[in-house]
Amino acid sequence: MTEHERHRDDVAAYLLGALNEDERGAFERHLRECDECQDEFDRLQPAAEALPASVQQLPPPPGLKARLMAEVDPRPRRIPRAPLAVAAATLIALAVAFGVSQLGGDESRTVTATVAKAMPRAGGQLDIQGQHATLRLHDMPDLGSTRVYQVWLQHGDRMVPARTFEVGPGGTGDVRLPDVRKTDGVFVTREDRGGARVPSEDPIVSVPL
Amino acid sequence: MAQDIRDLADEEVMQLVQREDPRAFELLYDRHGGAAYSLAYRITGRQAAAEDVVQEALLSIWRNRLRYDQTRGSVRTWILGIVHNRAIDGLRRSSVHDRRRATLEVVEERFEAKERTDVEVARREEARSVRGALETLPAEQRKTIELAYFGGFSHTQIAEMLHEPVGTVKGRMRLGLEKMRRQLAGGVV
Repeated sequence: MTEHERHRDDVAAYLLGALNEDERGAFERHLRECDECQDEFDRLQPAAEALPASVQQLPPPPGLKARLMAEVDPRPRRIPRAPLAVAAATLIALAVAFGVSQLGGDESRTVTATVAKAMPRAGGQLDIQGQHATLRLHDMPDLGSTRVYQVWLQHGDRMVPARTFEVGPGGTGDVRLPDVRKTDGVFVTREDRGGARVPSEDPIVSVPL
Repeated sequence: MAQDIRDLADEEVMQLVQREDPRAFELLYDRHGGAAYSLAYRITGRQAAAEDVVQEALLSIWRNRLRYDQTRGSVRTWILGIVHNRAIDGLRRSSVHDRRRATLEVVEERFEAKERTDVEVARREEARSVRGALETLPAEQRKTIELAYFGGFSHTQIAEMLHEPVGTVKGRMRLGLEKMRRQLAGGVV
């Protein structure tokens, strides 16, 4: 049996991904040297490449693109406005106290956070000193070993994922944030450990800026 | 750069992607994300798994964007090939029973995408045409092709599964693809 005869029936199996690893390597070496198999390959390839088109065409889930682009494009991403609008209705509007003063040319202020009704004892504030900001929370529920809190920075109608954190004794959490002077709001959601690329729920802590 | 990248052909868009243009990559997703997800869903049979496959595959495409070589095929074929490989890799880590079921059973929860644009209508038409070509194959040829391409089974596994000689299985693959090629080329279906 010639080398070609040994591989003649491998063309279609190769195109369908049905050769095992050793066979695949051997066939690829043969293909480079065998015009007949190359012709057969060229002839059958369009049929194999058409197979993806044979499946029912489904719409991709709406969040998929946002998650993908969050990885691809480090710039702030656009998210639907709805979650924030809904969030506003579910938050207890606590007094938002502004304490603005000038310290060495850097704006310094404290903004009180609003928290979800589900956490009646929890509260907190965002301390801003120039380019430094710290979100200080207290009486936040412990989320166990699989869930974490995640901070989001709002830029216009875009939401940028920031760091995740866990709370300490007394449900306290001091979270240092990047420069928030051009940020329109700081929010917190509960996410799976590792964090999310888009918020999976309405914010449970909200600090409009 | 053109005024509107949406007017560019895939290969031109891919050149922008290779220059690290996220907007161009987003456009490729808009054009081919549906096909990628549909293929991943057909192979994995589960929405969450299909999403993971598409995300991993497209991220690998973004990170390896310089590897695209247009002399070796269209952008769409390249993307779907990578999605296919990722989905099959994932499938091969699951049990044979699940794989066979996912490959051969009709998944009830599927629903067709709404036809929104001319391109999508054309894609739906293409899907019907290729599905038609596949469905005209003798059942044993179609089953062999589906087990290999959508199930990720090797020809030896398929031979064991169907209690047929390996040579018979390879022959069915060749005859099936040959018949599909003729039908697609001739516009018979």
